[in-house]
Amino acid sequence: MTSIEAQDAFRARFPDAALQPPDAALRASVAPETLHGHLQYLHDQLHFDYMVFVTAVDWPEQSRLEVVYRLFSYESKSAVVLRVMLPRDLAKVASVADIYRTAEWHERETAEMFGIEFVGHPDPRKILLPDEIDGHPLRKDFSHPNMVPLPEVE
Amino acid sequence: MENVRPAPESYSDEFVLNIGPQHPATHGVLRVVVTMDGEVVKDAVPHIGYVHRGLEKLFENRNYEQIMPYTDRTDYLSAIANNFAYVLAVESLMGQEVPEKAQYIRVIAAELNRIASHLLWLAAYGLDMGAFTPFLYAFRDREEIVSMLEDASGGRLTMNYFRIGGFMYDLPKGFFPKLRKFIARFGKSIDQLDTLLVENAIFVARTKGVGCIDRERAISFGMTGCCLRASNSACDIRRDIPYSIYPKLDFDIPTRLAGDTWDRSWVHIEEMRQSLRILQQAMDGFPEGEYRAKVPKVIKPPAGEVYSCVEGPRGEVGFFLVSDGTSKPYRIKMRKPSFSNFSALAEILRGLKIADMIAIMGSLDLVVPEMDR
Repeated sequence: MTSIEAQDAFRARFPDAALQPPDAALRASVAPETLHGHLQYLHDQLHFDYMVFVTAVDWPEQSRLEVVYRLFSYESKSAVVLRVMLPRDLAKVASVADIYRTAEWHERETAEMFGIEFVGHPDPRKILLPDEIDGHPLRKDFSHPNMVPLPEVE
Repeated sequence: MENVRPAPESYSDEFVLNIGPQHPATHGVLRVVVTMDGEVVKDAVPHIGYVHRGLEKLFENRNYEQIMPYTDRTDYLSAIANNFAYVLAVESLMGQEVPEKAQYIRVIAAELNRIASHLLWLAAYGLDMGAFTPFLYAFRDREEIVSMLEDASGGRLTMNYFRIGGFMYDLPKGFFPKLRKFIARFGKSIDQLDTLLVENAIFVARTKGVGCIDRERAISFGMTGCCLRASNSACDIRRDIPYSIYPKLDFDIPTRLAGDTWDRSWVHIEEMRQSLRILQQAMDGFPEGEYRAKVPKVIKPPAGEVYSCVEGPRGEVGFFLVSDGTSKPYRIKMRKPSFSNFSALAEILRGLKIADMIAIMGSLDLVVPEMDR
């Protein structure tokens, strides 16, 4: 499968997919409940065999958490991005660690940093943070007694 | 006397062994809890995060230039690769052009850094395996590279060398004579290190056929770099997603078939030879011109997101950058090779002997601060 074929097949599955410059990857937003099926399809049918990373971005004004999945195919040498929007107060999405083994650690990190529950995760422990920490550090409203704001310099 | 030993099916020799967080073979602060049956590893649970510094949170309160020195400190052995991935991300979001000469300097620095990192890996790995001599030879050669990069950047380990749009200074006088001398000599030096360590009979006996991982599993675990190339996959970001001047350069991607510990070592050695070829070509084709572009005083990339990655010494080093149009990044995610490479440890280790664990962990070329960020 060439890069063009992979992109066409991706567009066929996700009609609203957009190529966003400057980063040459097709991006598509999907509903959280369909994510697992889509990734299974991309892995099995379009040979996106390598998951580069999973991460999230916090958008408190919209009260949303955006989870970003970046995939790469060694066969067609192309990259695609899938994203899901989750409500900030009840962030839940299916784990994809059964499709991509690397998702296991990436989801553990995303879960502790953003407070997202990856349903069906085989090992939902914290990975980088100590067990006793409260809150989710990469959320924009996270605060900690030891955090001191930087003085503004001209 | 009555035999009080329980029946064979009801007892086992299983016990739990805790390795780390302070252990000479882990090369940093990490812990592996292994369940052993006699000498055989039944399961391994890695614990990381001991040196987590919250860099991604910290970045949200720094402006774009201030982030550069932090990227060095994620992986202290390949500061240049981290600088490189970060400037690529910011520059592509800004649409910033970089002069050709600066591109050449970047590639020269990145390849020198790759050789330095591989040499340190070789030295430390030799020590792990009980070979002290290669350490001395490797450090002799590494010192030359470090001093060249020190001349150019002022730093020996965390160089903080790249700037958005190019460099702060031109290459110093006398850099190319040094580089030429190094290239002329180092080819022989690699052969020497190759015979001393990688072709050494004791080393081969300890590593050949140990810790195999096949291509599909390696990719599923997100392994990149030398570890994946040893598993029969000719992947290299310099080829797959070309950046900077790499499309102009001629080099091979060394691969091996078995994906065992020895193959990973072989790929490291061969990669140093290829880096030498790249250095020679970059030196021959070195253009005249500017070493930095005109960049705005305050760097404010337009709102949007980008992911840029480079082939670091350990694999794919990437920066996922989300900008909201202000002078500070909205979110930066660092994709680090050691994190994914190390996640495959339990899979590789299961069923092997505890002594193999040292050989395997060494061959994965781990840098702990990079995993923990």
